[in-house]
Amino acid sequence: MLVLDALRVRYGPLEALHGVSLTFAQGEVTAVLGRNGAGKSTLLRAVAGYLRASSGRIHWQGSDITRAPVRRRADAGVMLIPDEGGVFRTLTVRENLDLFAAGRELTPALDAFPDLRTLSRRRVTLLSGGEQQMLALSRALLAPWRLLLVDELSHGLAPVLATRLYDVLAALAAAHPDRAVVLAEPDPREALALADRVHVLRRGELAATGSPADFDPATL
Amino acid sequence: MFYAGLALNGLAIGCVAALAAVGLLATYRVTGVFNIAFGSNAVFCAYVMWQCVRVWHLPLAVAALLVLGIVAPGVGLVLERFVYRPLRRSGASGLLVATLGVLVLQLGLVFLLWGGRSYVDAPSLLPAGSVRLPGSLTLPYATIVELCVVALIAVLLTFLLRATRVGLMVRAVVDDRDLASALVPADRLAAGGWAFGSFLAGVAGVLWAPIYHLDPYSLTLTVLETMGVAVLARLTSLPIAVVAALAIGIGQTELTAVHPAARWQGLVDAFHTNLFVLVLFAALMVVPRLGIRDSGAAGGGLHRQGARRTSRVDHISRLPLGALSLVLALPLFFDPADLRASLAVPALAVVFVSLVVATGYAGQISLGQAGYAGLGALFMAKLAGAGVPWLLALFLGPLLVVPLGWLTGYPAIHRRGLYLALTTFATAAVVARFVFAQPVFVGALVVSRPRGFTDDHWFYALELACLLLALLLVRSLHTGPMGRALVAMRDSETAAVSAGIDVRRMKVFVFACAAGLAGLGGALTTSAAQAFNPTDFDPVQGLVWFAAVAVWGVDSALGAVVGAAALVAVDVGTVSGVSSLLIGIGAVLLGRFPGGIGAAVRRAGDWAVRPVERPLTRRLSPAGRAVARAAAARARERPVS
Repeated sequence: MLVLDALRVRYGPLEALHGVSLTFAQGEVTAVLGRNGAGKSTLLRAVAGYLRASSGRIHWQGSDITRAPVRRRADAGVMLIPDEGGVFRTLTVRENLDLFAAGRELTPALDAFPDLRTLSRRRVTLLSGGEQQMLALSRALLAPWRLLLVDELSHGLAPVLATRLYDVLAALAAAHPDRAVVLAEPDPREALALADRVHVLRRGELAATGSPADFDPATL
Repeated sequence: MFYAGLALNGLAIGCVAALAAVGLLATYRVTGVFNIAFGSNAVFCAYVMWQCVRVWHLPLAVAALLVLGIVAPGVGLVLERFVYRPLRRSGASGLLVATLGVLVLQLGLVFLLWGGRSYVDAPSLLPAGSVRLPGSLTLPYATIVELCVVALIAVLLTFLLRATRVGLMVRAVVDDRDLASALVPADRLAAGGWAFGSFLAGVAGVLWAPIYHLDPYSLTLTVLETMGVAVLARLTSLPIAVVAALAIGIGQTELTAVHPAARWQGLVDAFHTNLFVLVLFAALMVVPRLGIRDSGAAGGGLHRQGARRTSRVDHISRLPLGALSLVLALPLFFDPADLRASLAVPALAVVFVSLVVATGYAGQISLGQAGYAGLGALFMAKLAGAGVPWLLALFLGPLLVVPLGWLTGYPAIHRRGLYLALTTFATAAVVARFVFAQPVFVGALVVSRPRGFTDDHWFYALELACLLLALLLVRSLHTGPMGRALVAMRDSETAAVSAGIDVRRMKVFVFACAAGLAGLGGALTTSAAQAFNPTDFDPVQGLVWFAAVAVWGVDSALGAVVGAAALVAVDVGTVSGVSSLLIGIGAVLLGRFPGGIGAAVRRAGDWAVRPVERPLTRRLSPAGRAVARAAAARARERPVS
């Protein structure tokens, strides 16, 4: 479904991904683990089209999207929920949801996160980090996607809240077995529980691949 | 005392200002960029309009359609595609320099195409005649139309942004273009926003030109001065901007009726003709914060990352210094006319070096160096007139500017980015309008050189000595603990504070130094020309200087000297406008080549003298490896003493 072939990405003179080849299968939840600076976010941003690959190929559903702009990848069903900046901060919650839904019903998001209903007229800048993250995740509930890339969903969140967001994500993945979900996480516990397949990045290279059972959260 | 007739006249002025302010705000709302080039864009469109009607003799309606329907939005589209889109991820400073670049570029274009001539016969779109009101008052139709245009733009824009889906998408693009690009056609929306903003600039220019003279510098400056209204509205509220503009316009004409004692009349006159400048200055002092995301590092993004040569100057960087001094000495052997032209080089170089100190080393954007330069020249002339020996006055004058720089450095403590840039610009504008334009201050100046320096050779040598002095001073600011502290402040104020650097004192000190240096440069400029010429120290000139220094590498003192030489050479060797055009293009491209020409040269230099790479691991024969192992083992066994 999504095939990365010797993908290299550089920021100016520094190369962050040194030729990563990976395959993400349909209907699977894949966790990409690794420490800070391992290249997880770079990988996701390159797939979503925010970073240009300096060499290598990205194939999505059989077509080469290595040079495609963000908008074309989004139309093809690729959705990135970044660890920060996944919401429009100067707009209200309602306006954000309207933009995400693009004319569709808002109920899926409002049902999953009832808090957003009461906050609907508030500016996003005034929300807490958890509320902002809920809003960002709502995008996946409102608009159709075929490949969901989630970057550090638990970034800076209280464990209770992180668990809640992961529950929503798990339900979402279970409801659509024909789609693919990729999670990038430095903290393996939640991701291991959710994932069907695990890749570990270390210093911009693929260090290990396996099923969640192969990995012990304590040693990662 | 309130006169209704004067108030109606004031309404006309206020309307025009409101038009510019609303245009500026609207552009900010739909593009997210505070467009300093709004004024030059308006001037450019006004000149094209003049060309269409007065030279090509097109009917007024056709010309208006051509200018407002095609030229103005077209300019916006081109700028979005080639200037602002590549910069969409750069911070406030990058955008500021880009807009400055566009301003300088458009002014250069006007100078190149129309020779910078001013025209009084700009075609007017507005109907002549006026409405009679009770009490023998008249209200011109033009004012009514302008009021309607302002109201229409304000209402339409508010409705579009608040109540329509396109408006929501535009706001999303302004908020976060990366995120928006996945949801909406962001590039097309941004292009539309720029086309609209440029259209508004065109409307402002076409309506303004017949009211004021069609003149590149003064019209740009007039539009820039209405930024005070936009600042009062904190860049957010359209109604406040409209009301403030109308109020200032009315206040301006009402002041003409004030007749105090004769000795104060000059001051009152200066007040009422320059109320907008005063409001800009006062607004920047009073309004605590703009409704703008401007959290980027003060001068961040202008200098090359990793350019940290604050340690001792090594022999490699002495090489260009030697070459440069040879080149700078060359004019001593030129023929008299060329030498006369070259006199401007060291003077301008000193001013440029002052910009390097403020912006390059300390990260404080200063658009106001023209004001300090002019004051330095003025003080010198006054001192010389008062009987102080000329050579002493040449240094004493700039020294008197230092306290002023100290004083104006205080507002800089809590301001950064665009806000600081506007404040420094407003300072220069106030000085230009209230000092340089007042005959009381600039009348009867003694600026002729004394015996011994009337010969250009000797004066040029003196200028070179001054430049050397300035460079030595700058070097002492850039090396050692002082230089490190300045660079620390430039990179991160927070980190600098936590490292124990007194950032407040540092900023004020830097502004004082830069002001003194600029004053010296101004004094030299005036002495070189042997005349105090206010246009040399025009605030818009300060913008051009800033852009030029940025292009040559804002943290490179040598680059500044070369830049000054190049600027003068291009000005002398070609028609006017070419230098501005080149600087503008350079500044616009700066976002893609951070650090400018200075950094590019330094990179090339680093590459040329890079150490010859040696294999990191030496290959050893099996015997050699055995020896190495034994040596390592012995080292381990040896007890730690």
